[in-house]
Amino acid sequence: MHTIIRVLLLGSAVALASGCVTSKVDQMVFNEPTEGIGSATVVILGRRHASDYDTEPDFVECVGDHISSGDRSIEVIGELEFVNQFYPWFEPRTAPLQIADLERLMVRQPVVAEKLASMNTQYMIWIDGSTIDTDSSGSMTCAIGPGGGGCFGFGTWGSDANYEATIWDFRESAEVGRISTQASGQSYMPAVVIPIPIIAPVQGTACDGIGDQLLQFLSSEF
Amino acid sequence: MSDSTTSAPDCKPLLWLAVALLLGLLAGCGPATVVVDGDFPPPTMMKLPLTLGVWYDKDFTTHEFFDEATSRTESSWLVTTGQAQVEMWDSMLQGMFRRVVPMTGKPAPGQMNPSVDAVLIPEVAELQYAIPAHTNVKVYEIWIRYRFQLVTTGGNPIAEWTMPAYGKTPTAFLQSDQEAVNLAAVMALRDAGANFANSFARVPAVQAWLQQVLGDQQEASL
Repeated sequence: MHTIIRVLLLGSAVALASGCVTSKVDQMVFNEPTEGIGSATVVILGRRHASDYDTEPDFVECVGDHISSGDRSIEVIGELEFVNQFYPWFEPRTAPLQIADLERLMVRQPVVAEKLASMNTQYMIWIDGSTIDTDSSGSMTCAIGPGGGGCFGFGTWGSDANYEATIWDFRESAEVGRISTQASGQSYMPAVVIPIPIIAPVQGTACDGIGDQLLQFLSSEF
Repeated sequence: MSDSTTSAPDCKPLLWLAVALLLGLLAGCGPATVVVDGDFPPPTMMKLPLTLGVWYDKDFTTHEFFDEATSRTESSWLVTTGQAQVEMWDSMLQGMFRRVVPMTGKPAPGQMNPSVDAVLIPEVAELQYAIPAHTNVKVYEIWIRYRFQLVTTGGNPIAEWTMPAYGKTPTAFLQSDQEAVNLAAVMALRDAGANFANSFARVPAVQAWLQQVLGDQQEASL
């Protein structure tokens, strides 16, 4: 009997340790490679041209890791490595917004086209979006004295993640897909002596959602 | 007969400790200095078939900024950008022009300098910043306005123009203040390089000069 109670308590604790997240993924893709992408490489880049937000570098890395770990045969080029290789053409100010801009750049700077060909890059995936904290409420008081310290109170806040991935196919010279994901969740921080953060993995859920759809597009195994 | 010897205790270690503590305290009183250090990759672009001279004024090579509300000595922080400016511009110009030659003196009538097609003199005309105290998040923002002069070796003006650059800390997650301000400055310098590479040949006076030295055909391909 005690074992069952312990298991139930442990299960409840694990369930509580992460807040609830709801997510939605929409996709629209064309010319999906039926045999996977073979030996071609993929680069995933974050959009940073908006004035009020930047796509987080760690989110872009998370999506890349998700794809690489889902199908080891897909080579994903790291964002920083790619941006440095092609400096200054993929900086926030100069990054092409449409595939036609990239084609114009390759005509104007043939060295860019040569380098892209040498890297055998077939797909460029642009991720645009961010995760923001929304409403927060509650209060917490912490104190410390000679006998020890502690906190008491309760805090809660919401997070919203909105991302869109746009897929460019170099061989077809066309945009071949858009995948968007929305996730939202509520995090809690009760404190009775020790604050216990119960964080909703909003960004992680968005990363998994967009990563799964991209895997379905790029991989022959999914 | 008794023989007693009294020897003074060896105070040297204590003395050194006191000196070290004093030095430590004095160092703590000085401003927190950030020497900007970043990765400035060489640009991937077609080189202009020109030999460009470059002259950095002392104000440029030792450029720094500090809290505007105080004097340099009273400021609690100091950001030194001069060395990083020179590194970035050297790397950028060497990737843009067939040959880049540092000048031995500021171009002027009678000044002996190596023979070049023109001399570029960059200058930081203005710098503004936003610090977390202004923005409430650990994100620093830096705006730089550069003034460029393109002159002959004799100091005769060919073109003069200004150019903005902007950088902000890409992510506020788990970064010290020093790392955050360094990243913002590096982003601003990378943006300056990107803007220069993109806009140099579009400056009307530079365009006219390029047409003159390269002819219509070469200038049109820029």
